[in-house]
Amino acid sequence: MIGLFIATLTQALTLIPLALGINLSYTILRATDMTIDGSFVLGAGVFAQLVSLGVSPYLAFLAAMLAGALAGAFTAFLQHKGKVDALLAGILSSFILYSVNMAIMGRPNINLLNSPSLFSTAFAQNNLMGWSAVCALVLILALGFYALLQSRLGLYLRAFGDNPKLLARQGLNIETLRTLGFGLNNLLAAASGAITAQIIGYADINMGVGMTLVGIGAIILGQHLILPCIKTHYLRTRTELLSAFIGIAIYFFILNGLLRFNINPIYLKLMLGVLLALFLRAATQKAKLS
Amino acid sequence: MITTLLTFKDIHLNYPALERPILQKINYSVQAGDFVIVLGANGSGKSSLLKLIDGRYQPSQGQILLEHKNIHRLSAKNRAHHIHTLTQSAQDNLFLNLTLFENYQLLARNPKERKKKGLEAEIIFLKEYLKDFNPNLCDKLSMLVGRLSGGEQQALALALAVLDPPAILLLDEHTSALDPKTAAHLMALTANIIAQKKITALLTTHNTQHALNYGTRILALREGEILDCIEGKAKKELDHASLLERCY
Repeated sequence: MIGLFIATLTQALTLIPLALGINLSYTILRATDMTIDGSFVLGAGVFAQLVSLGVSPYLAFLAAMLAGALAGAFTAFLQHKGKVDALLAGILSSFILYSVNMAIMGRPNINLLNSPSLFSTAFAQNNLMGWSAVCALVLILALGFYALLQSRLGLYLRAFGDNPKLLARQGLNIETLRTLGFGLNNLLAAASGAITAQIIGYADINMGVGMTLVGIGAIILGQHLILPCIKTHYLRTRTELLSAFIGIAIYFFILNGLLRFNINPIYLKLMLGVLLALFLRAATQKAKLS
Repeated sequence: MITTLLTFKDIHLNYPALERPILQKINYSVQAGDFVIVLGANGSGKSSLLKLIDGRYQPSQGQILLEHKNIHRLSAKNRAHHIHTLTQSAQDNLFLNLTLFENYQLLARNPKERKKKGLEAEIIFLKEYLKDFNPNLCDKLSMLVGRLSGGEQQALALALAVLDPPAILLLDEHTSALDPKTAAHLMALTANIIAQKKITALLTTHNTQHALNYGTRILALREGEILDCIEGKAKKELDHASLLERCY
């Protein structure tokens, strides 16, 4: 049982930035941004390729996040200039990113087992130190994200998600906000991709498939469990971050639980898909009731 | 001294799909402190006139001057600073999925002075300020605005609009989605605040009683043209029946 918990926590840890990014797009910007499927791989691919070329892992990690932000900015550009709706723009970006990722990586899979990573020194000492380093990086990203959401810019992003027309009437440039919002959520997804690649030891062209859906399902589950306990919206940002963490942890707990029951891996996605559909249905029912 | 605040100079507004112009040959001036009631049948161009003033529409011909500046040459931010619009739909006036306090942070003008005093002082100030508009709002600062009643939402929208009064307040049938009692209360409150703070305002409505009771001037539109302008002694002598006859 302890092994199950440890596996759950370590896997959830690497995907927390992704969950925060999806929380930004789905809950705050109120858009389903499918770009994340592609930018998760983009982050992993840019990091893996740069590190294998001898670039410092720190620089490679920054470059991975920047690449993710650019992918998000491209999705915002498609919405603004191409007049494509948010969902389709995300699907289109993700589609294009498959080729971009292949071009960057040069092959479908890059092995990182013998390459340096942000955490290799810490893991060389022992596992506890290694995971503490991962935890510290995720915490820095989460705190930065929290600080942003608590700022005036965070309020503008929420207002953009709620009523962009009214915000535009206040004289704000909503396209800048759109670009910032989509850039930031994909930056976080790319950071997650780069962290995951370092933990699992490789970057794979297909590692992002279904990530958006997993993230949305997880944060809906988390919100479902946490929000009824919250009486005031002053604490909304903290609640959202906690929901993202709890949701993603429960998803991996279920995933690992299924694997331990020797479920045939062929049916794993089918079972998880049904589970996510149930979460989404529960959330819709609850929204109707409220 | 009477100051002309808003001037319509030969305004025309066309929609490509329509044969008849939405507005045509509009020449009119609004003085500072005027409360102009715009009357007219559906489709007469009342709302379009307000949308031209707040920049949502561009005139096909002519100019609208705010003092001496062309409104459509002002930056969106500058225009928003001078002009505030309230419509009948709460969706147009407020951020429904944000809290009341967040709406205050986003929609109130010149918040810097109040902000300097700190968050707690700001909350105390806001609670006290909202009392005059709707006492129920005072304890709901952390509530999502979408959960307020229609009357509370419109009272809040009005309160935020006039906290630091804009040069021009545009009211596009802002009470028409409310029940008669709430609508009458909000209208009286609006007129009171406008008079108290000496705000220049334009109100579109179908309620001729409001026009008689509250407006300083009446502007009647028919098929996009000015049908009648009633002010001063002529307005005072008007009764309900003659107003209906002159304006519809």
